[in-house]
Amino acid sequence: MNTYLRARSFKSRLDFIVAIFGLAFVLALTIFGQARAGEMKLALVTPNDVKAGSLLLKSTEGGKYLEAPRLATDFNVTVSGPTARTIVTQRFENPADGFVEGVYVFPLPENSAVDTLKIIAGNRVIVGEVKERQEAKVIYETAKASGQAAALLEQERPNLFTNSVANIGPHETVIVQIEYQETVKQSSGTFSLRLPLVVAPRYMPAPIVQSVDFSNDGYGVTVNDPVPDRERISPPVLDPRKHAPVNPTTISVTLNAGFALGEVKSLYHPIKTDPVSQVISLVDANVPADKDFALEWQAAGTAPQAGLFTETVNGKNYLLGFVTPPVAATNEVFKPRETIFVIDNSGSMEGPSMVQAKDSLIYGLNQMKPGDHFNVIRFDDTMDQLFADAVPADKENIDRAKAFVSRLNANGGTEMIPPMRAALMDSHASDTSHLRQVVFLTDGAIGNEEQLFATISKGLGRSRVFMVGIGSAPNSYLMTRAAELGRGTFTHIGEAAEVTARMQDLFSKIGSPVVTELKAELVGNSAKITPDMLPDLYRGEPVLLMAAARDLSGSLKISGNIGAQPWEVTLPIAKAAKGDGISKLWARRRIADFEVASTLGTLTYDAANKAILAMALDHQIVSSQTSLVAVDKTPKRPPGEKLTRADIPLNLPAGWDYDSVFGEEMPAVEQRDARAEFLQLAMLQKPAAVPGQQQVMLPQTATPAEFMMLIAGILLVLSLAFRLALPRQSPRQM
Amino acid sequence: MVPATLTLPKVGPVRLSRRSFLNFLSALCLGLSLLLFGQSAWIFAKAQLAQVLLERAFSQSVVTGEPVKAWRWADTWPVARLQIPRIAASAIVLHGGSGEALAFGPALLAETSRIGEPGTAVISAHRDTHFAFLKDVVVGDRITITRDDGLVFTYRVTGTSIVDWNKSGIDRHASGFNLVLATCYPFDAITRGSERYLVHAELVK
Repeated sequence: MNTYLRARSFKSRLDFIVAIFGLAFVLALTIFGQARAGEMKLALVTPNDVKAGSLLLKSTEGGKYLEAPRLATDFNVTVSGPTARTIVTQRFENPADGFVEGVYVFPLPENSAVDTLKIIAGNRVIVGEVKERQEAKVIYETAKASGQAAALLEQERPNLFTNSVANIGPHETVIVQIEYQETVKQSSGTFSLRLPLVVAPRYMPAPIVQSVDFSNDGYGVTVNDPVPDRERISPPVLDPRKHAPVNPTTISVTLNAGFALGEVKSLYHPIKTDPVSQVISLVDANVPADKDFALEWQAAGTAPQAGLFTETVNGKNYLLGFVTPPVAATNEVFKPRETIFVIDNSGSMEGPSMVQAKDSLIYGLNQMKPGDHFNVIRFDDTMDQLFADAVPADKENIDRAKAFVSRLNANGGTEMIPPMRAALMDSHASDTSHLRQVVFLTDGAIGNEEQLFATISKGLGRSRVFMVGIGSAPNSYLMTRAAELGRGTFTHIGEAAEVTARMQDLFSKIGSPVVTELKAELVGNSAKITPDMLPDLYRGEPVLLMAAARDLSGSLKISGNIGAQPWEVTLPIAKAAKGDGISKLWARRRIADFEVASTLGTLTYDAANKAILAMALDHQIVSSQTSLVAVDKTPKRPPGEKLTRADIPLNLPAGWDYDSVFGEEMPAVEQRDARAEFLQLAMLQKPAAVPGQQQVMLPQTATPAEFMMLIAGILLVLSLAFRLALPRQSPRQM
Repeated sequence: MVPATLTLPKVGPVRLSRRSFLNFLSALCLGLSLLLFGQSAWIFAKAQLAQVLLERAFSQSVVTGEPVKAWRWADTWPVARLQIPRIAASAIVLHGGSGEALAFGPALLAETSRIGEPGTAVISAHRDTHFAFLKDVVVGDRITITRDDGLVFTYRVTGTSIVDWNKSGIDRHASGFNLVLATCYPFDAITRGSERYLVHAELVK
């Protein structure tokens, strides 16, 4: 009896030890497992301790983070008559203790000819050269690998560029200067200049929407990813609720209009004019780069109706001329219209943009007259067409349309191709009694511009496309090129207060084109005039022409029809004034011609690229085929020292709603953090085996499955052991 | 028998509480065991099931000529079919090397060459699921890869190596047409490590 009890208690003590041991084992494993899980998650989550306005990049060293370089930008603009030259100074400041490669995606005006890149290091200036894109990339990568300071300026879109600056030393500041030339815009006697300051996050259609282009013989060509360079044009975007605005900007403009100035105004930023130098600058010394800067000026008296300028470069003459045709005020007969309104209600339009778009559309609906027809299409990543076909603009239909528009909410992606196709679908294509117009309201925040251009050029027919750009940072390249291919105009609305005036202007323009059958020729000269495709001219719009020749003489003759009457104007070239940078602008316009020809199919893609390359190299400007690269010959990063890539974060354009753009996915900063880390990992290690090249980093390729299975097994054994350790029950109780 | 019955009420409470304690421990261990087992089974099941769906999506994309996602919310899509006839191994290769993609199939690492193009293409997969067969691959084996445009490329295994993940020595711009299959090493390790097992191959035709 006594022995039995002792045996039982000993056994129980043993059980107890086993149990404690088992529990401790499980506990240890659980803690270990959690720690591992924590490690895995950390790479994806932006730490909470991010300072305002800075982006942290995780480094390979455990627990250490790297702050992205800070950037400040200055724009120095000089307007000389019809052209303007801008010096953009970007200051990259590296707050970190290691060497960093700064990568900044930034916008420039869509018609800009970028010709200069300089690195200013101490008191030395390193001037960049235009090279074929791949060649420039190789030069840059070589310099980067060997520790030299280098800068590479690449064009992603005609209005979107990337500046990569390699080997910015610890706590060092590198200054990069970029210069470009552009033509001043004019419309209805108002001259204007726009500095886009931020790239809006763009919607990238997923590859699933890829299409096969079938030719008539049944063979098709697959269109690959609609945005093959999506990674290159999606920089990190800061959530304005969590971060102070970054990228402070200063702007100064010297305005030599060439005529007595009337009113000068900045549309979105308060400006001041220095009484002595007449230089225009911002009232706030530093503004965050989150909306476009727009400056407008008018002549004191009547606006100039025509202008002719020449420039001689390397013995070759370049000509720039513009004429604003007169408006035949009397006996204008308005044709009835068939107007298709298309409104973008995607997530990027959330906030003020949506209000402006709705107001603009309702203004447009109010302009419909009896006898007109209309329809309304709305789109995000889905689309709805209000009526099956255009309907008469009677009160009932207009009221239905207004109710439809006022109910719209901004949400979802931006699939712009189907609505454009639907808008161009013309049920009576041969009807010439109506003017068919598509009024397309959008911020243009898409990455597949090329697809939209192709859609317009294929389906245009008798329709005309009028782009209305909405918001603080619209994609001007998309708007301008779409309007050019659609033979319409581009109107920009940046604030709710502008809606009435701008839409009024648009609707007076689209009543009827002022000049049709426009032709231009150089009399007594064989030089070719650009653009290839002359537009229909609307009220107040000038025609802007350029030409290049060894010997420019004779005169520029522009002719066309105003209403039913022929109209002609001749500008003698001998009277032309001297202009600045016209050769670059001519080359830039020729490149746009090649791009348009490629979209229209009159030039093959390869032939267009070849022509663009030759033109860009000839005139030393950046294009889709050429980049600017500058390399400091003296290496400064010691061999063995690490280099980390850092994408400069951007602000969200003013008035945008972060959640509507990024809400449905992971927040962009977090998303990018992981990617930045991947890139950074790819850049970090100095390869030993293949010098000058980057090694491939291999991802983690073991699942925790086996590990978990093992623990599961151990636990199962423990469970069984406990059960076996149970004291036997007495037979009587069974 | 009688004395034993008499002592029962005295030791009864002690025995009973130990019983329930052991019962509780046993149940707890069983529960945790089942949970972990379920999780690891889910990883394997996902790997297997995804390959079935991917196989279908891939065949479809070869026919239509457009990338087809295997399921609507996938963030990757099949780009090739990899086969090693000698050991009857087959897998659908996905685009990109994110952890997400690797759960469903081998992935052609972004920023490496495309199959059949100059440079080095790197395909990576989990050693315990899709690339478990890599340990059976020997020099001289043929690897056939069907691209999503229907073209078939045959590679020949030229060697294997074991490297650290960040010192792979793989040059993506290397001359010739190279293929590297990569997975974690050692194959039977229980925890994750930094070593990788590489199978090097060259294009035959």
